[in-house]
Amino acid sequence: MPVKVAQSSFRDRTQEFLSVAERLKKSITSGSNQNGPSSSSSRPEDKRSVAAHQSEFNRRASKVGLGIHQTSQKLSKLAKLAKRTSVFDDPTMEIQELTAVIKQDITALNSAVVDLQLFCNSRTEGGVSSDTSSHSTTVVDDLKNRLMSTTKEFKDVLTMRTENLKVHENRRQLFSSTASKDSPNPFVRQRPLASAKSAAGALNNLPQWANGSASSSQLFPRKQMDGESQPLLQQHQQQQQQMVPLQDSYMQSRVEALQNVESTIHELGTIFNQLATLVSQQGEIAIRIDENMDDTLANVEGAQGALLKYLNSISSNRWLMIKIFFVLILFLMFFLFFVA
Amino acid sequence: MKITSLLILKCHPEGSDPIILANASDVSHFGYFQRSSIREFIVFVSRTVAKRTPPGQRQSVQHEGGLHFVVDFISSLEYMVHSYNRNGLCAIGFMDGHYPVRSAFSLLNQMLDEYQKSFGESWRTAQADSTQNWPYLDEALTKFQDPAEADKLLKIQRELDETKIILHKTIDSVLARGEKLDSLVEKSSDLSAASQMFYNQAKRNNQCCSIL
Repeated sequence: MPVKVAQSSFRDRTQEFLSVAERLKKSITSGSNQNGPSSSSSRPEDKRSVAAHQSEFNRRASKVGLGIHQTSQKLSKLAKLAKRTSVFDDPTMEIQELTAVIKQDITALNSAVVDLQLFCNSRTEGGVSSDTSSHSTTVVDDLKNRLMSTTKEFKDVLTMRTENLKVHENRRQLFSSTASKDSPNPFVRQRPLASAKSAAGALNNLPQWANGSASSSQLFPRKQMDGESQPLLQQHQQQQQQMVPLQDSYMQSRVEALQNVESTIHELGTIFNQLATLVSQQGEIAIRIDENMDDTLANVEGAQGALLKYLNSISSNRWLMIKIFFVLILFLMFFLFFVA
Repeated sequence: MKITSLLILKCHPEGSDPIILANASDVSHFGYFQRSSIREFIVFVSRTVAKRTPPGQRQSVQHEGGLHFVVDFISSLEYMVHSYNRNGLCAIGFMDGHYPVRSAFSLLNQMLDEYQKSFGESWRTAQADSTQNWPYLDEALTKFQDPAEADKLLKIQRELDETKIILHKTIDSVLARGEKLDSLVEKSSDLSAASQMFYNQAKRNNQCCSIL
């Protein structure tokens, strides 16, 4: 399929198609002609190999495209499953299987697209026209883009699934004190930790837990039986009692508390560090202030000395005054001599 | 945050009723006429819960309904009964809903340790409800009304939070001190510049006069 015929318009372009096919054939032969006499014997093989390459390329491209389409269908199914969240009907196994399958598909398609690209690049030495090479590169790019968008959707679905799981957990915790029949898996997993202390092994826990929830219904008629011996207990019929297995949540809360304590201590450590930094910076500032004050003191003392000298010179100026008066009197004498 | 009662029972692994070894209850916040019935109620519920607590496990039971008495003074009791069974010796505590669960269980742990320390293994042979008072339980009841006492983790957390608040205040005051120091630096540098000008002026005074 060297040329895709546009089918949305009603014009009959068969003639154009035939002419283009002729031209292409001619261009292929002219291209292989230009390669020179060295490939003269391989010219017909070139033509054939070129065509074979092209159809090989097209086959693989169509296979990759089909794979991408199937993967996106599976992805939409996965998205529907992940969106359909209810606390009790959790299709975890299916979701996990589907996730694994989709991941495998995506990796396989990735490698196939890379192979295709290599294949397409390796073909350009065969002396084909630029149109074919650009067409093949366009096809490869398109497949890569589609694969990328599929991977992105996959990632979005996975994030949505984790968010839903988190919402589940919250809701379960809200309800776990009132209804103990939700997914026994986390409890079973953590039981052995909790009962490590006691002699009774972890094996007892699961049936006892199951018995516990069964016994909550038995407790009711039991209470009624015992209640008849004591008059006030006849009114217990209106009480609701809920047995809650707390072994593992006790451990969990201890772990949480310890982690809180540890993080608080860590924060305190950082606060102390900041405090130390601030104080050391301020220490520098204090030293600067001290130096400034020393300079001021020196300046003021120097100024004081200068002023004292000034005072002394002012107070001892009389000698100079007398000398000046002497000079003045001399001048007066000169004037008197000249005038008189 | 109230503890109403603390009990220690001996549990048989078979279905027979557990035997009360020690009991301390504080029913003072109920009306006078209900006290005895509430005590019996406590005894009965603790027996039931202890029987249903398998060895080596902790459990909490929450009462949510109404306890209707002939005198309808109390129309609802919100209780959490926490029980911890350790090798046949079961400790039960009746607390209200606000008491943190973890502190409750650490308190029960402490009680069991104390009991084993003071009475050794003699409890295993007990056949009837013991009526003696164990003074430790009574003072434990009063001491541990504040959950921080029972749970060291809670105490540590509280102290750490207080320390953090104090540190925040310290840092604020240190920052204010820094600001003041900055203004002091400004002023002292101005002062030193002014004093330098003063000195130069005084020197110039002397030099200029020397001509005269």
